[in-house]
Amino acid sequence: MEPAEAEFLAEKELVTIVPNFSLDRIHLIGGDLGPFNPGLPVEVPVWLAINLKQRQKCRLIPPEWMDVAKLEEIREQERKEDTFTPMPSPYYMELTKLLLNYASDNIPKADEIRTLVKDTWDTRVAKLRLSADSFVRQQEAHAKLDNLTLMEINTTGTFLTQALDHMYKLRTNLQPGESSHSQDF
Amino acid sequence: MRYGHTEGHTDVCFDGTGSCIVTCGSDGDVRIWENLDDDDPKSINVGEKAYSFALKNGRLITAVSNNTVQIHTFPEGAPDGILTRFTTNANHVIFNSDGTKIAAGSSDFMVKVVEVADSSKQKTFRGHDAPVLSLSFDPRDVYLASASCDGSVRVWKIADRTCTTSWPLLQKCNDVINAKSICRLGWQPGSGKLLAVPVDKVVKLYRRETWDRKLDLSDPFITQPLNVVAWSPCGQYLAAGSVGGNIVVWNVETQECIERMKHEKNYTVCGLAWHPKHRQIAYTDTEGNLGLLENIGDGKKPNDKVASTVTKDYNDLFDGDDDDYLNGDMVEPQSSPKAGADEDDGDDDDLRPTSGHPRRAVIDDDDNSLDIGMIKANLNLEKEDGDDDQTSGFPALPLSSTQQPFYDGPMPTPKQKPFQSGSTPVHLMHRFMVWNSVGIIRCYNDEQDNAIDIEFHDTSVHHATHLPNSLNHTMADLSTEAVLLACESTEELASKLQCIHFSSWDANKEWTVDMPKDEDIEAVCLGQGWAACATSALLVRVFTVGGVQKEIFSLPGPVVSMAGHGEQLIVIYHRGTGFDGDQCLGVQLMELGKKKKQILHGDPLSLTKKSYLVWVGFSAEGTPCYVDSEGTVRMLNRGFGNTWIPVCNTREHCKGKSDHYWVVGIHENPQQLRCIPCKGARFPPTLPRPAVAILSFKLPYCQVATEKGQMEEQYWRSIVFHNHVDYLSKNGYEFDENTKNQAVKEQQELLMKLFALSCKLEREFRCVELADLMTQNVVNLAIKYASRSRKLNLAQQLSEMAVEKASELATAPEDEEEEEDFREHLNAGSSAREWSRPPVRNVQQDQEMEDADETDGCEEAEETPEVPKQRPNPFSKGVTSAEATTPKSVVIASSSQGRVNPFKVTSNKKDPVVPTANVLDTMSKYSKKTSLSGSRAANKQNHLVIKPLTPKPKSKQASAASFFQTRTPNSSEKTAEEREEKAGNEPHEAKVAAQENTENRRPKTGFQMWLEENRANILTDNPDLNEAEIIKEGMSRFRMLSSEERMAWTEKAKGGALNDLTDDKKRKRSAADEDEAKKNQEQNSEDSNLSKKPKPLDQSTNVRLSAFAFKQS
Repeated sequence: MEPAEAEFLAEKELVTIVPNFSLDRIHLIGGDLGPFNPGLPVEVPVWLAINLKQRQKCRLIPPEWMDVAKLEEIREQERKEDTFTPMPSPYYMELTKLLLNYASDNIPKADEIRTLVKDTWDTRVAKLRLSADSFVRQQEAHAKLDNLTLMEINTTGTFLTQALDHMYKLRTNLQPGESSHSQDF
Repeated sequence: MRYGHTEGHTDVCFDGTGSCIVTCGSDGDVRIWENLDDDDPKSINVGEKAYSFALKNGRLITAVSNNTVQIHTFPEGAPDGILTRFTTNANHVIFNSDGTKIAAGSSDFMVKVVEVADSSKQKTFRGHDAPVLSLSFDPRDVYLASASCDGSVRVWKIADRTCTTSWPLLQKCNDVINAKSICRLGWQPGSGKLLAVPVDKVVKLYRRETWDRKLDLSDPFITQPLNVVAWSPCGQYLAAGSVGGNIVVWNVETQECIERMKHEKNYTVCGLAWHPKHRQIAYTDTEGNLGLLENIGDGKKPNDKVASTVTKDYNDLFDGDDDDYLNGDMVEPQSSPKAGADEDDGDDDDLRPTSGHPRRAVIDDDDNSLDIGMIKANLNLEKEDGDDDQTSGFPALPLSSTQQPFYDGPMPTPKQKPFQSGSTPVHLMHRFMVWNSVGIIRCYNDEQDNAIDIEFHDTSVHHATHLPNSLNHTMADLSTEAVLLACESTEELASKLQCIHFSSWDANKEWTVDMPKDEDIEAVCLGQGWAACATSALLVRVFTVGGVQKEIFSLPGPVVSMAGHGEQLIVIYHRGTGFDGDQCLGVQLMELGKKKKQILHGDPLSLTKKSYLVWVGFSAEGTPCYVDSEGTVRMLNRGFGNTWIPVCNTREHCKGKSDHYWVVGIHENPQQLRCIPCKGARFPPTLPRPAVAILSFKLPYCQVATEKGQMEEQYWRSIVFHNHVDYLSKNGYEFDENTKNQAVKEQQELLMKLFALSCKLEREFRCVELADLMTQNVVNLAIKYASRSRKLNLAQQLSEMAVEKASELATAPEDEEEEEDFREHLNAGSSAREWSRPPVRNVQQDQEMEDADETDGCEEAEETPEVPKQRPNPFSKGVTSAEATTPKSVVIASSSQGRVNPFKVTSNKKDPVVPTANVLDTMSKYSKKTSLSGSRAANKQNHLVIKPLTPKPKSKQASAASFFQTRTPNSSEKTAEEREEKAGNEPHEAKVAAQENTENRRPKTGFQMWLEENRANILTDNPDLNEAEIIKEGMSRFRMLSSEERMAWTEKAKGGALNDLTDDKKRKRSAADEDEAKKNQEQNSEDSNLSKKPKPLDQSTNVRLSAFAFKQS
């Protein structure tokens, strides 16, 4: 899966906005949205929030976890633990990127948040690499990784499985019977 | 008690004059509180954690977590250097009596005494074997007492740094955290004769020099170890606070306990401070709360019988210098009672309203001072008292009891200051001037900038604006038409009212009005098309939004606040003086529209005890509401004699004790209380931008935990929150009939549920009571329910009631019904007009209609057998068709709403509350019969489903609108119309021409009548004419008649028609209307061909009809 696809899925997440226009409930295939009352917070999917934000039709209220103190805590927790800790949102990376790109003026301390999330991400990806490494090294048959988000899985998923395939091929080719067979071919 | 700091150790003291309370806490802040209700204390950040602080001569010494003892200036809070350092943090810092030295005791076992002026002059006291807990300076600067975790309390001689004496009094421990008590000890102020040490549950008093124990103070009230002691500034009293949250005050001389107080949450008291002048103690606990104990020893003396003797006793005990310590009870004393009385009003105005905790102001040490509160209370005695006091004027002389030195009765409350709803206090640098449902006005007033920011929630109203605030406006209001700003007068400038009328269509968007000299604006508000301001001259001035001065009227008292909405103006003012923390407010509600009238004539405003008003305004639907400082929201119940009903208590939603909700708006439909949650404050800061939260309403009914109570609450809430519908309809506003019917349905459903519940509980009498509240057809349902659940007696009772109700209905509104009938004609006409929209739209509607019809069909099938017969005896099965067609008076929701959810499955529409089609059948008949006048009158009515608050459009506009609409149709009509337009000055001819093109379904015109009568004449003259030629000939003859004659015919024709239109002007327009009506008819017939069943028409029509249908039955 491409990062763009993960991002697309993330756009379905709900965020709170404060619209500055009035609109009755709108009916979409995915469900009803609204009604929009000026000045009154309403939950909408990220894609709509960004769209409205770009047209300056709303003010975004950052998700509760998008807060320096909370993210610092998460980062520390992530650094302390050997395993993956649960993230505040399954799309934390995508949301951070989207919201900070389009609505950074509505998010206090946007830069700090960006750094914190990036730190957390780096820690987690390092952990992921490490576990992949030990997985390969110890020639395990299966491993279980909890609390991974979609985006993180996608960073190594395809590469890891392909690599494992290749290694499998190489290993099987090492066996004598097979190798002679392939030479025949 | 209130939130002061985050939880952890705290310390408290008063500043030198007692004008403010200063606290420090584990959040590293030192806060300066004006009073206990100060929601905006000044904070000085001194470090990560502050352990202790001391305050004297404008210097603030703090012991903070970076192991230093530092100075800040006070009250500015600017850092002023570091006094000393330890290897670990200091636990206690104190000043000596003249403020030249400080002493600090640290967890590194050391005690240091440092000169404030020169921090290099330090003395270190070594000897404790554990962290030092507390210190106390001898007031004569000879000794220093210290308590430590090693269990000892030592007295040091400062000069030679030696330990004079040491008592092993405390339990040993290894750290401050583990110490049972922090053992804040204290020397008696003044002479320093006694040293008080809290040891377990007693306070031990040691004599100076001899160091022997003089006595122990104890009280059975104290059940846990004492933590702190504090001497009153006079040295007569000693207060002690315990780990269990008890505070006890003793009179040291007599050893009797004069005050006992229990902390409401039993938190450990860790800071105690006496007010330098008043009988007040501030205390803090380890959870960070700050409390104030007032009127120490006020009639609470446990051993004394009569309060007055107690006070007298104290009188004697206090020495002269502390005289006003006694008197300074309520309001600051003044040097002369008369001057005081004069100034008092002014001072009262300055006081922020505080419920029960009036602010203590700075007091001058004048011995002649007299309690103003007392003067006020004893107005009769004022003169006498004042004289006495002045003549006696001798501080040491105790006031004789005949003079009544104390007034023990209720104390007057300072009147609350005028305010704007939705604004934050004026003294803030960044504040909200108003936050309402239209937008936000913020005011910035700092060094660089003095400006006003106006922002609209809905940017389509107007764009955001930034104004310089050169006039220093302090009041503002905002509506969808204008911004109103007002400032108080200054020495040069008069008080000004400025209005920015941004919706004005001319170039001048602004106007300003100066108030007369010495008249200050105190409150402003905006309504629809008008603005109003209340002034200090007790006047309310009304202006149009364009700046024309209009009504002016006097208020019975000083204004508190006012609000406007539509044509309504609500003014709240002081009706009198409140006592014991209560405010005494009155309310006037008036309508400034066409019929100016007063609805509330200065009625008393009900407020929660000891609270004041914080918000007043209207719901979006126009019902007056207000909020008091205890968070109770009240709403005018127009359905019950304009009484006030509490609809919500915001405090119930608060998590913390000092959290509040700051109300910004109220909506009745949907039921929303819009407010901003404020943590630890009454109002929000401007940054970070606060977010609006929505609270639900809840009437304070009993037993809402039970199903019955819950439904009762819901029922009455629904009633209360739909009163506005009746009000709007009565006052000629437009509103959505749909909501009303939904409400009725909801209410009836709740009643039915309650009925069923009572049935189950065998409460038959209650059932009948409930049925009394039901509408006719629901009663029938109830009868059915009762009979099915085999409660024959109940069913009998109910049916009797039903008969009674029916007869009432039948007799009373006979004529009303007729009126209704007529209106139905009109409505039918209006609906017909509605159909004359472009055909595309019609097709779509038809489709929708078919859907609806289908469901209607099903619905009918389902409903008909269910519908109870309106027969006296429900057991007889006879059915009359008329009755069968009376479903619940409800509405089709789909077609009228404009937009439907295209993704919704149609079957969803099978809501059991869709009316049957019969109603619509009758309607179509009416629409076919629509008469000329009917259609015109209909134009007046057909805009029923517009937003609330647009006054009815005048018939002129409406018909104009319909005139434009008629321009879409097929060509034959168009030509007719064009011709009409050309022949505008010859209306009769035009009419005739028009008639040639149409089937003659409408009433005859004058010409037609004339023609009928004269047809024979024409025929005899010209026997070989065909019909068209006859008319032609007739026309020329008719024209030859004199205008009077023609008029007479026209009159005659009109007399024959439904309406009594005599106005000639109106007649001119009739041509267009006529045409339109005709077209409507055509389309009607087309439509009825297309789908057998007619559409559900305009929502309102529908409703009216269904209601009517029901009434007939």
